[in-house]
Amino acid sequence: MGFDFYIAILPQVLIDGLTLGFLYAVVALGYTMVYGILELINFAHGEIFMVGAFVGTEVLLLLQATGLLEGMNPFLSLFGALLIASLFTGTLGVGIERIAYRPLRKSPRLVVLISAIGVSFLLQDLVRLVEGVTRGAFFLNSPQLFTTNFQLTEMAILPMKSVIIMASAIIMMIGLSLFVSKTKWGKAMRAVAQDQGTSALMQINVNKVIAITFFIGSGLGGATGVLYAQYFSTINPFIGFLLGLKAFTAAVLGGIGNIQGAMFGGVMLGMFESLGSAYLEPLTHGAMGAEYKDVLAFSLLILVLLFKPEGLFGEAVKEKV
Amino acid sequence: MEKLKALLSNQNAQYAVVSIYLLVASLWLHYATKSIIAFLMLLFSFLVLYYSNKIPTKTRVIVGVLIFTVLLPLASGGNQYYMEVASNVGIYIAMALGLNIVVGFAGLLDLGYVAFFAAGAYAYAIFATAQANNFMPDWMQFPLGGEWFWPFLLVGLVVAAIFGILLGLPVLKVKGDYLAIVTLGFGEIIRIVFNNLDKPINITNGPRGIPAVAQPELFGYQFNTSTHYYYLVLIVIAVIIIANKRLEISRLGRAWIAIREDELAAQAMGIPLVRTKLLAFATGASFAGIVGVIFAAKQTFIDPTSFILMQSISILVMVILGGNGSVPGVIVGGAIITVLNVSVLQEISEWIQQLNMSGVISIPNELDPSKFQRLIFGVILIAIAIFRPMGIIPAKRPEIDLEKVKELDKTLPQTGILSQVQQGGKSS
Amino acid sequence: MSNVLEIKGITKRFGGLTAVSDVSVNIKKGSITAVIGPNGAGKTTFFNMVTGFYVPDAGDILLDGQSIKALRPDIIASKGISRTFQNIRLFKEMTALENVMVGMDTQLKSGLMGILGNFRGVKQEEERVMVEAYRILKYVGIEEIATHQAQSLPYGLQRRLEIARALAAQPKVILLDEPAAGMNPRETVELTDFIFRLRDELNLTIVLIEHDMKLVMKLSENIHVLDYGQKIAEGSPEEIRNNKRVIEAYLGKSGEEEAS
Repeated sequence: MGFDFYIAILPQVLIDGLTLGFLYAVVALGYTMVYGILELINFAHGEIFMVGAFVGTEVLLLLQATGLLEGMNPFLSLFGALLIASLFTGTLGVGIERIAYRPLRKSPRLVVLISAIGVSFLLQDLVRLVEGVTRGAFFLNSPQLFTTNFQLTEMAILPMKSVIIMASAIIMMIGLSLFVSKTKWGKAMRAVAQDQGTSALMQINVNKVIAITFFIGSGLGGATGVLYAQYFSTINPFIGFLLGLKAFTAAVLGGIGNIQGAMFGGVMLGMFESLGSAYLEPLTHGAMGAEYKDVLAFSLLILVLLFKPEGLFGEAVKEKV
Repeated sequence: MEKLKALLSNQNAQYAVVSIYLLVASLWLHYATKSIIAFLMLLFSFLVLYYSNKIPTKTRVIVGVLIFTVLLPLASGGNQYYMEVASNVGIYIAMALGLNIVVGFAGLLDLGYVAFFAAGAYAYAIFATAQANNFMPDWMQFPLGGEWFWPFLLVGLVVAAIFGILLGLPVLKVKGDYLAIVTLGFGEIIRIVFNNLDKPINITNGPRGIPAVAQPELFGYQFNTSTHYYYLVLIVIAVIIIANKRLEISRLGRAWIAIREDELAAQAMGIPLVRTKLLAFATGASFAGIVGVIFAAKQTFIDPTSFILMQSISILVMVILGGNGSVPGVIVGGAIITVLNVSVLQEISEWIQQLNMSGVISIPNELDPSKFQRLIFGVILIAIAIFRPMGIIPAKRPEIDLEKVKELDKTLPQTGILSQVQQGGKSS
Repeated sequence: MSNVLEIKGITKRFGGLTAVSDVSVNIKKGSITAVIGPNGAGKTTFFNMVTGFYVPDAGDILLDGQSIKALRPDIIASKGISRTFQNIRLFKEMTALENVMVGMDTQLKSGLMGILGNFRGVKQEEERVMVEAYRILKYVGIEEIATHQAQSLPYGLQRRLEIARALAAQPKVILLDEPAAGMNPRETVELTDFIFRLRDELNLTIVLIEHDMKLVMKLSENIHVLDYGQKIAEGSPEEIRNNKRVIEAYLGKSGEEEAS
């Protein structure tokens, strides 16, 4: 295919990359918030995202089965699905912290990380089990709420669902930023992230702050799962792992612990991946194609950790001796 | 209870326990055609030996070797099922012992360990089939015969070690949790690359895998039964155990554990971090490489699905469950997890399928227990982390013979920093 | 006597904060030098630069006339600077003897192949290491806990063990970061004698950070005072005791904080 073709598809590649990037960005927030406070890579965060996708989709399917979905305003049904999914995953996140992380707060990091990997695997199979028993299959097709497409050029469309995803993601991020900077609990969160011991002395309930952090991070992750299901329409219990890794990459890229950074990291990674899948083949004369897009993402993660481990927007922190 | 304890710390009692245990386990194994419990019982006889501390170590080692070289094959009476399970268990134990050096000794959480296994397996599979003709010069003809298996054990080792160093050089500068993620990423990269290296030049045959890998041959003798591989794996395990033991008490083992315990203090004591970690990485990797070569020969077919992240996690679970850094622990962990994976779950699922077919009960396919690997691993990992972070048999530092040290203290000349101190017994 | 360690105008900044600013210190061979100052004065940062954990933003550090600035900590250790840590950093799960054996690592030659092959040279080296580690424990006076796990030891012994481990590296200069912290008066007196012994019998040069002023005054020939990252005074114990700026730094102009 000629040069003109690759130019013509560029707008579409960018739209896809941007949508994907916003999905990564919101999930990255969950990693960044938990890491900021506990210095723990919450390995299970990708699975929380996946659970959110299933819960939200199940809500929509329920509405569909009862015939309510047709008559409802699609924005309202999406909002309902997002709300229920994020409440569910928020609670799940708090539960995970309580059961699998809190007892280990004084343990070596290796032990906590192992517990986190355990939670991650447990959730994958639990969802598969529940779906398998109730539906006889472990993948799920989500009802599509927004099917309109705006034709931009001959070769590029802007789907309504992309617009919805980007808008929701931006609203969630602004909401989080305001929460962290303006509210009492947001300030407590920042205090605990700075220094747990001192915060405890200042009458801040550290456990509660950590629980709130998990609730919000997991709630955002779960909501993103619902958006993901709208975008890709088919979900399975294993979508969380890879997406979680990439969202983590996005968090590292933007500087872990940094909310704005996570957003930039997510968008950058989404773009990078989308451009990679579209143009790797012509660039390598067919030797490599879209199947290497995950390799690109992981290579980016490794490069960032090697050369700028504090991320593009983070500050270098020196280990205490 | 106390009485029992006292009784069991008597040497003769221990001899009696070991003998009765071995007798029961062997007879059971011999007369039951497919009992995984009997098999496990005989396998775990090494634990009984391990805890029989009143029997001299030399005797215990000899008995242990005899159990696995003579008793187990004999008791299973040529039953290839047991030999197949045993060699599978052995392959995973060998890998877990390799990973133990990386995770257990040096404390480096490597989630991409299976990549080294893959490197070894592909190194042999590509050259022991016609696959290599696709990219090697015309005057060389492939496949290589089965007698090439032996040098390829070394090739697998070297290739995996090179992979380990190439991966380690950049990665080991990354600290702690990040290392886990980065190694995971690297493991996935390797798998994806092997999965796609059928073009532009067909090197790995991509997702279709490489069939008909040559089986080992020694002086014209073909290795083609499970029993053959059993012995092969046994030798490799013995080598890896000896290596683990020697490393554990060596200067290197101490440096690794020092790094695990406190990286900064280790560095302040003059231990070069990256080089020491790299040695751990390469040593662990090379063992996986050797095992990969054996795996490819034994299966006669490999494809990228054997080298997924789940495998890396399985091996990690073996190490953590058994006891991070503990050689007997890792063997136990390896045996439990492999038997769980390849036998127990499969047997239950076959049994359920039979029930399903005969119409006794109806259980949906999704409930097939052989698919619950992740759930079971997940629960094991969380439970171990919370309740027994040191594993089933916690690692302990090998005991130092202080009497011998005191003896040497009297004979060896004074060296090092204290040689400046005037003789005259300034000792307190 | 000649200077074994020359520190020339080193500076370390963290973000906007200058932790150590243009500090120069000369340390004579075989001397005992103290670095003192209020909390947060930059003393530990100073040690961390000398031992290579931080790279100075400016200035130079010379060991026997050769620059060791920007070398890795392990290389600096092998060149003869050894240290202890403010908040004891032993290898907790190892025995006391093994902790000391780790300290000797820079002098060992065994390689991977030799260890795997269990070569004779390796076995001999191991024996030698074990015995020497035992002798160092004996020298420090804690040989009876040789086979105890480091984490099981009482505080005072842990401090001694950390010094033993530092000695094992055959240093020319040893840096002690608050060696008397948490010790009772009797232990502190023992420590004083012990530090004199290290200097006299082993020809060591000793640099210490310490808050216990009685100990500092008794031990050191030379004292350097840091405050807010800057060196505000240098001199003999007598000179420092009467230095106005030092008194001010410690007591504050309003006299809120108390010395020692």
